Amino acid sequence: MTIPMASSLVSIPRVLVTLFFISVTLNGCASFSKDGGLGAVQKTTKDFISKDIQWVKSLEDQDSVQSRTEELLKKPLTVNDAVQIALFNNKGLQAAFYDLGISEADLVQTGKLPNPRFAMLHTKNNGDYKIEQSFTFNIFSLLTMPKALQIEKRLFEQTQRQTAMEVLRLANETRKAYFKAVAADQSTHYMQQVRTAAEASAELARNMVKAGNWRKLDQAREQGFYADAALGVARAERNKITAYEELTRLMGLWGKQTQFTLPERLPDLPLTVDESNNIEQTAMDQRLDLQSLRLQTEALANQLGLTKATRFINVLEVGPARVLEGKRSDPYKKGFEITFEIPIFDWGTARVARAEAIYMQAINILAETAVNARSEVRQSYKLYRSNYDIAKHYRDEIVPIRKRISAENQLRYNGMLISAFELLVNAQLQVSTVNSYIEALRDFWLSQSDLEMALIGKPLFSSGTGSPMRDNQMSMSH
Amino acid sequence: MVTRRNFLLGASAAGVALSAAKVSSVAMAALPQIVSMETPDTQPPLMPENGRPYNPVVTLNGWTLPWRMNNGVKEFHLVAEPVVREMAPGMKAHLWGYNGQSPGPTIEVVEGDRVRIFVTNRLPEHTSIHWHGQRLPNGMDGVTGLTQAGINPGKTFVYEFEAKRPGTFMYHPHADEMTQMAMGMMGFWVTHPKNPKFMAVDRDFVFLLNSFDIDPGSYTPKITTMLDFNLWAFNSRVAPGISPMVAGQGDRVRIRVGNLTMTNHPMHLHGHEFVVVGTDGGWTPPNSRWPEVTADIAVGQMRAFEFIADEPGDWAFHCHKSHHTMNAMGHDVPTMIGVDQSKLVDRITSLIPDYMSMGESGMADMETMEMPLPDNTLPMMSGQGQFGGIGMGGMFTTVKIREGLARNDYKDPGAYQHPVGTVAYEMNSELPPVQRQTATLSGDEIEFKARKPVSHGEH
Repeated sequence: MTIPMASSLVSIPRVLVTLFFISVTLNGCASFSKDGGLGAVQKTTKDFISKDIQWVKSLEDQDSVQSRTEELLKKPLTVNDAVQIALFNNKGLQAAFYDLGISEADLVQTGKLPNPRFAMLHTKNNGDYKIEQSFTFNIFSLLTMPKALQIEKRLFEQTQRQTAMEVLRLANETRKAYFKAVAADQSTHYMQQVRTAAEASAELARNMVKAGNWRKLDQAREQGFYADAALGVARAERNKITAYEELTRLMGLWGKQTQFTLPERLPDLPLTVDESNNIEQTAMDQRLDLQSLRLQTEALANQLGLTKATRFINVLEVGPARVLEGKRSDPYKKGFEITFEIPIFDWGTARVARAEAIYMQAINILAETAVNARSEVRQSYKLYRSNYDIAKHYRDEIVPIRKRISAENQLRYNGMLISAFELLVNAQLQVSTVNSYIEALRDFWLSQSDLEMALIGKPLFSSGTGSPMRDNQMSMSH
Repeated sequence: MVTRRNFLLGASAAGVALSAAKVSSVAMAALPQIVSMETPDTQPPLMPENGRPYNPVVTLNGWTLPWRMNNGVKEFHLVAEPVVREMAPGMKAHLWGYNGQSPGPTIEVVEGDRVRIFVTNRLPEHTSIHWHGQRLPNGMDGVTGLTQAGINPGKTFVYEFEAKRPGTFMYHPHADEMTQMAMGMMGFWVTHPKNPKFMAVDRDFVFLLNSFDIDPGSYTPKITTMLDFNLWAFNSRVAPGISPMVAGQGDRVRIRVGNLTMTNHPMHLHGHEFVVVGTDGGWTPPNSRWPEVTADIAVGQMRAFEFIADEPGDWAFHCHKSHHTMNAMGHDVPTMIGVDQSKLVDRITSLIPDYMSMGESGMADMETMEMPLPDNTLPMMSGQGQFGGIGMGGMFTTVKIREGLARNDYKDPGAYQHPVGTVAYEMNSELPPVQRQTATLSGDEIEFKARKPVSHGEH
């Protein structure tokens, strides 16, 4: 509803100067930062992964990232190299950086006063005119801007947390993909050794038949073991392809750069495991998803406060107006105009209820996330410990026992107590056991990554699952 | 060597330990001393210093149990106990035996002797002794449950009977005998004739045939094995650990063998013929004896062979089942003869660094190859002679006949020095060309005429 007011005269220029002044003062609170908010992200992530991140915005940025990537790709990649490459090249991460831009733009936008509004009504009828001109400004935004800025600032900080989270998640996924790829490489190598043994058995069997010492039945059996072993190699190679491509995607590599090399072995099992002192508290303190949710909740609380404060008034505008009514030559009537809604039908109750519901929802999501976070961190710590114990058991017990069995079998072969075939089958079993150890070691590193992730955000548990290698091993223990 | 003197004085001679049980000497006074043997070496014959005279035997890799005379009764003390028996240098078995060794000491008595044997049980389970082949009161026959109660651990039983029939006997438990005999519980018994001149010989060797299943790398026999034994032994000893039987040229030599394995053994002597002069039942009448070079000894039987050792040399004496002259081997190992492995060895050694191909040209490699074996294991075939590897294990030894040996000289005289021109030698000349007989029917024709298998459709 527009009410033209014809009483006190307002000088339009004076009002404008005042508005301009206010708006400049307020705009000082929100302007674009130099780094687009990435500095805070870098600071947060550096605490956890000590890696550089770069927001590639220009050709120079692109060149610098490219040359640093090339440098890293020259030698077999360490896990840290792989993470660094991913942070430089992963386009998904670059896309996430633009969330910062979007969020900051929102923040800056909120800090800007709405433009004054000029409205004009122009009608005529047989020489009678009606012209209304008004120049209004939403003064309510002057009242709400500090609140709104606070909200947007929270949201921007939340975006920074989320972006940091994206960085750390990418780092984590890259670490895991890296360990999977190295393990897949090693597994393939061991499966090839199994195949070599089976192949030797098959060839020996062929020679046995050729010499007239064996039945074709025996030869077929040995040939069958070889066929199984060849299948094992094919499966291992298939796993390797998947693991390599996953790593390649995360590192954002294509073309020639996909010819990267990995080391031959997984890192050794650490001498000691990390202790679990205050692990839940640590997670509570540093988990970025919790921080982000907390910021969001605070923003929602502000929102709720704002909604409550403005429940009766949706719009309040004020500005000078002049009206001409009658002949074109009549003088304009000057005045100003205030517009607001009268809450007769809508007392804002629904909006408040909605805001309250959203707020309470956020509170509960935050609480749920906190409870889950505690559980996730406990789970990942326990998985980390048990995977450590399993890998250690393989390394210190099972592999040495297998080796001892092999040594004893070698002695038995020397004494012509067992045949070359038994020796070869045994060699296959030993190789498979070593391979199982590699998988246990891989699972340990995966669970260590999960644990690190659980301390900073929600982990995607990936370790301790069955593997195709073990199925192969089962079929080989004939 | 155990003499009666140091036995009675209770002195501890080399290889003999006198053990005093934890029983007061007053209580012990009723029992003869326990004499124990610590070495598996062949001991010289035990000359009788009291009682009726006789010509003592020599137990191959064993000894004779000393006795004491008690009011005209010959008293022996056997102790059944766990023992560690060296089966050949490099391998020791955890067995059950008597008085420190398995088999137990030989008991020698004379026809008509009153014999009292104290049997103390130091095994973890009850035992008894059956005096195999003896005529004796039924209650002295040693069958647990049937003729007596079992001798429980820690208990001592007394057997007493008259050695009525001269001949060759043995003793073994008749309580859980499957276990106890598989563990090596047995011993030899000789009842000499009253007249020492009756069938007197210059040298009289005795031993039992026994078998064990001891997994390479382990020490205790598998007691449930029935036929697939891997160690075939004379007196729980295998080649190259079995002593030679030493004889002077021209000596009349007797070898008495008892079979306590679960299969028969054709015992074969090189270079001489022998006659079987005695069986389980007694002496064979001279006019029923026939000359042989191999005599089969069935399960549970005893045989006494005699021959004149007139040919000097180192003569093989062994079981003619060729697997019985081998030590532990794999019976599931495939035959590798003629199997080319040359191209495989490199590939296999990349996985199994210590691998080497074996058996391609037979198993003789084993005679000389000195590769590491499992612990406590003897090579399947070994032993060195003056011309190289002998390649024997199990039931194999030699009869060493030398000119001019002293009557009681049983010392190993070393390798035989062959007179010049009496050893097989290598021919160093071109081989004549091969001339093959022409077959009347060639292989192809046989193939052509053979009726080939056809479809069974019309059936």
